[in-house]
Amino acid sequence: MAKKYTMIINPAKCIGCQACTVACKFQNNVPEGQYRTKTPANELKGTYPNVSLFFEKEACQMCQKAPCVSVCPTKASYYNEDGVVLVDEDKCVGCMYCMTACPYGARFLNKETGAADKCTFCYELKVSKGEKPACVSTCVGSALMFGDLNDPLSQVSQFLAKHKGEVRKPELGTNPHVYYIYEGVVR
Amino acid sequence: MDVIWGVSANEVAWGGPIAFYLFLAGIAGGAFLTASLTDLFSKKQSPRVIRSGAYIAIVSIMIGLGLLVIDLGRPLSFWKLLLNVNMGSVMSIGVFIVSGFSALSVVYGYILWSTAAAQKRSRITSANTEAAAASVGLSLQGFRKPVAGLGILFSIGTATYTGFLLSAVTTNNFWYTPFLGIKTIPFLPILFLVSATSTGLAATMIGAWNSQDLTVYKKVDMVLIILEIVLISILYTSVKPIFFSGSMAVLFWLGVVGLGLIIPLFVSFYGITKHKNVVLPVCTMVVIGGLSLRYFIVYTGQLF
Repeated sequence: MAKKYTMIINPAKCIGCQACTVACKFQNNVPEGQYRTKTPANELKGTYPNVSLFFEKEACQMCQKAPCVSVCPTKASYYNEDGVVLVDEDKCVGCMYCMTACPYGARFLNKETGAADKCTFCYELKVSKGEKPACVSTCVGSALMFGDLNDPLSQVSQFLAKHKGEVRKPELGTNPHVYYIYEGVVR
Repeated sequence: MDVIWGVSANEVAWGGPIAFYLFLAGIAGGAFLTASLTDLFSKKQSPRVIRSGAYIAIVSIMIGLGLLVIDLGRPLSFWKLLLNVNMGSVMSIGVFIVSGFSALSVVYGYILWSTAAAQKRSRITSANTEAAAASVGLSLQGFRKPVAGLGILFSIGTATYTGFLLSAVTTNNFWYTPFLGIKTIPFLPILFLVSATSTGLAATMIGAWNSQDLTVYKKVDMVLIILEIVLISILYTSVKPIFFSGSMAVLFWLGVVGLGLIIPLFVSFYGITKHKNVVLPVCTMVVIGGLSLRYFIVYTGQLF
């Protein structure tokens, strides 16, 4: 059965250490100055002494109605059989149409290849071998979860059954497969 | 919610080369339209206008396509756009519209050029008309009007495509703006078609500025400028005011509105009433205005 790979990001557990950022760069050989994922800090909330701040991991949201896939003139951007949005580097001409279409700013033009690049959930290097993406397995605070939403027994299915997962920019109807849990953080 | 640390630099994916390409494709479409419509429907043929439009179309579309290829992340793989087709992608469809247009404009330009050359030759050698008709140039004459006719469709296609390319990005609040709130009609293809026709006509007039009678063209261009003022006003009222603030506001008010529309409209009106030849200044301003419009739309859509 086809998988429905999903990532759950839990900012309440994130300490902003950037281990995910670094692990991704090592795993995927992302050129200097470019990132497939980053975890920026949001604005400080409240007044001293009651202040709070949280970090929010950013990367491709793995939309199931991905604007990048529909605009791509060469079908270089595609959905694979497990619902992961990928880029076929060989077909990509680097027109950057996908970058204008992505509402999450998740894509960039790889300096070395000239092709569009983004998070792949480490599909080829890790997930297809039964491992988890580099950012998930390295996460210090267990703020990241990864698994198959089509499997009711998976950790992600069990977790989303009990907690409210939100997607970014739901009004655009992109139907992402990356969920954010905002329990325990002040937005 | 602001990000205070770790934010990525907000770089625009499509910058100057793309804006310039959209502008040149518009000029090419408009110039071809001016030439072919004159060729097909004008009673007193004005060969200078026809040739000016046809040649400008070729030069503009070729430079535009060159910019487009250079701007690719992998310029040498541009040919893959012709092999891997995605009918759901406006750009993929556009590749074929623009390629068809380029081919037709080159053929049309060649027919006009060889005809003009053959006529000149026959005049110099004072040969009789039969000899001239037998020459290569005039034997192509039969293709001239069909090529011009088909080219009209492709030039309108090219000019509107430049708008559809941006308006197809449904996640972009500015580019995706619908026409008068009607969801099925995108705004930019209409605006870009009018602007393309106006700037292409202006460029053609620059190329034929010392022709005898350009009155009809001048009047058409005034109508187009007025139409564009109406469209720009509609755009201004149908999107959030934030799009007309910030660094691009100066370009919009001075370049697009002032230099591109209001001033040329008044100078053109003055020229027609006082019988002064103001073709060069008016048309130059219209062309610069068209370039400003493309830059404004391309950047504003990505900055907010």
